[in-house]
Amino acid sequence: MSRGVERDIDDEIAYHLERRVAEYVAAGLDPIAARERAMQRFGQVSSVRDEAVRMERAYKRRQSARDLVAAVARDARVALRAILKSPGFAITSIVCIALGVGVTTMILSAVDAMLVRPLPYPNARQLVSVYAQNVSHDYHRVNVSYKDYVSWRDENRSLLALGIWTWATITITTGESERVSGAAVSANLFSLLGVRPMLGRGFRPEEERLASSDVVLLGYGLWQRRFGGDSSIVGRTISMDGRPHLVAGVMPPGFSFPDVGQFWMPFATDGPSSEPRNNREYAGAIGRLRPGVTVEQATTDLARVSAQLQREFPNENTGWAAEVMTLREDLTGDFRRPLFVFLGAVAFVLLIACANVANLTLVRGISRGRELALRSALGAARGDLVRQLFTESALIAVAGGVAGAVAGIWAVRLARLAFPNGVPFYFDFTVDARALAASALVIVMTAVLCGVVPALRVTKLDVNRALRDERARTGGSGDAHVSGRSILVVAELAISTVLVIGGALLVRSYRAYTHTDLGFDRAGILTARVTLPDQGYEASARRIALFTNLEARVRAIPGVRVVGSAQGIPFSGWDVQSDVWFDGRPPARPNEEFESHFQVVSPDFFPALGVALVRGRALAAADRDTLAPVAVVNESFVRRAYPNEDPIGKRVRFAPPESGQPWVTIVGVVRDYRHYRLPQPMGPALYMPYRMLPTRSQVLVVRTRLTNPYAIVPAMRAALHDLDPGLALYDVKTMDDAVNQSLWRQRVQSRVLAAFAALALLLAAVGLYGLVSYSVFQRTREIGVRVALGAQRGDVLALVYGHGGRLVLAGLAIGLTSGALLSRTLGSLLYEVAPIDVLSYALAACVIAAISFAALFIPARRAMSVDPSRAMRAE
Amino acid sequence: MRFDGRPRILSIETKWECPLPASIDILRGTLDVLVLKALSWGPSHGYDVARWIERATGDVLNVGEGTLYPALHRLRSKGWVRPSWGVSDNGRRACYYELTAQGRAQLRVERDTWTRYATAVFAALSAPANPV
Repeated sequence: MSRGVERDIDDEIAYHLERRVAEYVAAGLDPIAARERAMQRFGQVSSVRDEAVRMERAYKRRQSARDLVAAVARDARVALRAILKSPGFAITSIVCIALGVGVTTMILSAVDAMLVRPLPYPNARQLVSVYAQNVSHDYHRVNVSYKDYVSWRDENRSLLALGIWTWATITITTGESERVSGAAVSANLFSLLGVRPMLGRGFRPEEERLASSDVVLLGYGLWQRRFGGDSSIVGRTISMDGRPHLVAGVMPPGFSFPDVGQFWMPFATDGPSSEPRNNREYAGAIGRLRPGVTVEQATTDLARVSAQLQREFPNENTGWAAEVMTLREDLTGDFRRPLFVFLGAVAFVLLIACANVANLTLVRGISRGRELALRSALGAARGDLVRQLFTESALIAVAGGVAGAVAGIWAVRLARLAFPNGVPFYFDFTVDARALAASALVIVMTAVLCGVVPALRVTKLDVNRALRDERARTGGSGDAHVSGRSILVVAELAISTVLVIGGALLVRSYRAYTHTDLGFDRAGILTARVTLPDQGYEASARRIALFTNLEARVRAIPGVRVVGSAQGIPFSGWDVQSDVWFDGRPPARPNEEFESHFQVVSPDFFPALGVALVRGRALAAADRDTLAPVAVVNESFVRRAYPNEDPIGKRVRFAPPESGQPWVTIVGVVRDYRHYRLPQPMGPALYMPYRMLPTRSQVLVVRTRLTNPYAIVPAMRAALHDLDPGLALYDVKTMDDAVNQSLWRQRVQSRVLAAFAALALLLAAVGLYGLVSYSVFQRTREIGVRVALGAQRGDVLALVYGHGGRLVLAGLAIGLTSGALLSRTLGSLLYEVAPIDVLSYALAACVIAAISFAALFIPARRAMSVDPSRAMRAE
Repeated sequence: MRFDGRPRILSIETKWECPLPASIDILRGTLDVLVLKALSWGPSHGYDVARWIERATGDVLNVGEGTLYPALHRLRSKGWVRPSWGVSDNGRRACYYELTAQGRAQLRVERDTWTRYATAVFAALSAPANPV
């Protein structure tokens, strides 16, 4: 082509010169002079030629592009007309593609955000969480004791640094009192994470001393909200918990720690000496591995330090060691299994969607075999037919892809809502373009490939036979053979059976969770925490008075029935364990101590929560005055500690005898209630009166008569404000909400899988309907013959349902078997439901059968309404 | 050495300086309209277009082939002329250009514009001193 361009230009110029020479010769010049003159006149031949060639080529390029666009547009118009002849097919295909792409994008984006993308810290792969673990008790991810932390920090050889942190809340008392949550962190933690304050400075090591720890770093959001983003706040003091705190700096936007912290203060101690080595209650440790060191090597290294500590402190450290895991594992480990289950499920959904699109396209292509054969016979080139079908498929596929992208964006938005407190800042959970592209590619390829197949086939066929046989095929042998399309439909049914089983198992698990007897009555309860500052509440009498008065005032609010308080309420994550020593029994050997959940409660706590007293008496008001050390235990405690004795009157204590702590007498037994996040069972628990151990922080438990307990919040705030304007009510939620929030993951899991199952079912039903409809269409003539020969409507129905039913049964058989094999992978996601749960399997079978029955109804009706005289008439 | 009956075009750096007639270098837009006009009577070869312009303008306008051929290609990519290959009287392959419908419309527009423009300029140039 490019040679052609040059030749044309050369010819043109040659012709031009020739004419010019002829002109000059005619004017009387001799040929040589004429030629020279003509060349002279023409000027630079080569440059004219080059420019002409360049322009011509550019023109040709533009022209061919324009031609291509025009041709494609023409093809597209033709294709669109063909598609609009059967809009049902197009819409179904597009919806299948969109659903497949949408859900796949959602799950792949979630996997990418939580398991693939690095956490938002420099060299985040080096960051590790360090916990305590006790393998013989099967305790894992236990918080670390300060003394163990110091030993690990100073004696390890595998970490660049090890920091410690704990949750903290504080009341801002500059302006309106507001409780904010954050963390207390060691001075090295920010540099270890690789994050610098945006303004000001981080903490200094000397600020880890209690005496000099009134320093605070503000989170960007808090700084904007409370201090209007005023940068002069750095270096000034603000009032927190009634004490002046120096604002050392402001952290950059988007930074948060541990997950929703808004402020940070130094992790302050008055030296390690004051801390018992076995107080593994409240702190987490984060370290950074030295370059090239693996988690396994760090584990081995810290195991060496732990072994040394066990030898040195057998009483506190026997059985305890460090547990090292990557920070990502720590943050997302819980999501891994559900995500992999979802990934499997979504792969299934995508498979079904692909199978469906393939099926639909093939069926449509075959039903157009006649048209194609005709056109082929009339001389349409094979390429043209292929191109037209390709264009049709591509149009549908592209429309589906676009719809799928929109669906994916929406699905991700929807999924973000699944997080109860918003997506944590360390997950970049947005639409992942690669996921979108990959899933769209798979399904679009399917659509296009299947679209072209019929064109390739028809051009190979003997045209005459195709025209003759198109509708004359009889069912006897022609259709009963297992076609590829039947296999596709059976596979779809089998896969959706598996998904429905999975969905049913998870939904049943979730129901088991929500129907678990919690051991208390959750309706109508409002809970709210109050934490007293050091300032003004040094004396225990002040603390007791504050809470006593507050309970009395809240009790007076209309609609309130009972008010109690406790250190921690169910599902709040507040969990204090204590070792117990028994009167008259030798002290336990190291690592064999009797451990009990330990709570400090007000006398009305049990009635407020609705926990029944089983034996003895409650912590009645009398205990407030006598200050006799008494306690109430739960049934598990009795079962474990006094299996064959009456616990009432028995004495226990929570420190070794040499500590001089008084004995505490057990005066009552309450029913077990679920304190820990399900499915963790309740172990032994012991409750002491608040008056004996008046701590700074209590949760009010208010039992109301109201359907909406939140209605009393303003009155409660007013009551607290009257007593002390410097205090704030926070963590306000109903018990219902607390329980529901604690089950959010189970809820999301069951909903997602149930949605996938429903989707798969829908797609499979569409596939089945398409296939059987087509076969009825194909056998119209045969059915007509049968009716003419006296077949009744029932026989026709049996014919259709017989064909569809075989497919359904095959799909069910395969699905139930595979389900039995695959449901084990759900493992830990199941609660009080066996992986082989008869009810779920039966339910799945019934659902599949019912939906299939419904899907077959339309083609069956069409078959029954076949008019024999019309069907027999050859077209 | 290829020989297929066609004279090869040689690029000759000509040193021949002859005093060419005084001429006005033609503006691109002007050339375009003249080319369109030249083709308005029917298809013709580039050479005929050049000759027509030379004759019609009394050879005052210097329409070099170096500007003519690019002009023809430019008009073609604008869709105003259409090239077609034919065989000339002496049996050579020759390219003829003809106006497209678009080209005809363009010629009308350009002619009116030019007439107005030239009239205005001419009127100004032949106007008397400041009319008081």
